Amino acid sequence: MVRYNGRLKCIVLALVLLFSGLSFAEDANVSWAQLNDAQRKVLNPLASEWDTLRPWQREKMLDIARDYSKMTPSKQALVQNRLTNWSRMTPYERENARKKHQQFQALSPAKKEELRRKWLEYQKYSEAQQQKLRAESPDTYTDADLE
Amino acid sequence: MSEYENKTMRTLESDMSQNMQQANAEAQVANAIVGLLDGQVQHIDAEFAGRLSTARGLAVNRLVERQAQMASAHGIGRSGNVLQLFGGHVGQYLGHHRFMSFMLVGAAILIAFFAAEQFGFNNNLEHSDAFLLASDLPPEAYADKGFDTWLDTTAD
Repeated sequence: MVRYNGRLKCIVLALVLLFSGLSFAEDANVSWAQLNDAQRKVLNPLASEWDTLRPWQREKMLDIARDYSKMTPSKQALVQNRLTNWSRMTPYERENARKKHQQFQALSPAKKEELRRKWLEYQKYSEAQQQKLRAESPDTYTDADLE
Repeated sequence: MSEYENKTMRTLESDMSQNMQQANAEAQVANAIVGLLDGQVQHIDAEFAGRLSTARGLAVNRLVERQAQMASAHGIGRSGNVLQLFGGHVGQYLGHHRFMSFMLVGAAILIAFFAAEQFGFNNNLEHSDAFLLASDLPPEAYADKGFDTWLDTTAD
């Protein structure tokens, strides 16, 4: 009886892993031609480089396409405009951005507005000035971070 | 002791004596029957003895089975099958159909797994990359360390 119970648990676990593994593999290996119309529309900025993306990058982009439909048209436009830059960021930069985004979300509306204003102000600096500020950062990206 | 009490005591003693005599007579008759059966059993042939032994074995087995069924219907059986907690016919039915109950447990696990996944998905929606891209600030703002440095210097 105990052996029978154990065998059943193993079968259920194997099925769960199999289904989740299959869905992951299916998402990760999909080529541009295999995407459906809705996904192609969202990920259009990445059309030329999609097939060069690594499986885990494609999976993340497909997650974005999945959540896209839940957004307002103005937010959808923002996603499309920023998608190319996002796909060209390194995993380290993206992870850093996610952490900062979470911190930003926790700020008060006044603080958020102040940061928005300051970002616009920072954009007025030349590329050389921005580069100098990056170099002055105490935790500047190392070569390993950018790989 | 009054006359009435004496009369009552005598009546009771008389009744008890009669009851004891009757019980002795019944015991004597029973002993006689047992003696007669014991005497006859020595002469019973092998075929009858075998049939009697088989019938006794069947009756005992049946009694044991019935007691086991009753015990499992009113609690968790020796198999530990939780579905028998339903008791009565449902518990008995599921207890007898272990495959069915295992399938139910398996289905419950799968449903719980997918429900948890769905809940986690909804919970993390606001933290997904799509919402980061649609945020008030572009992703470069979050990742640009020069912007951090500049914020620090302007704050001072």
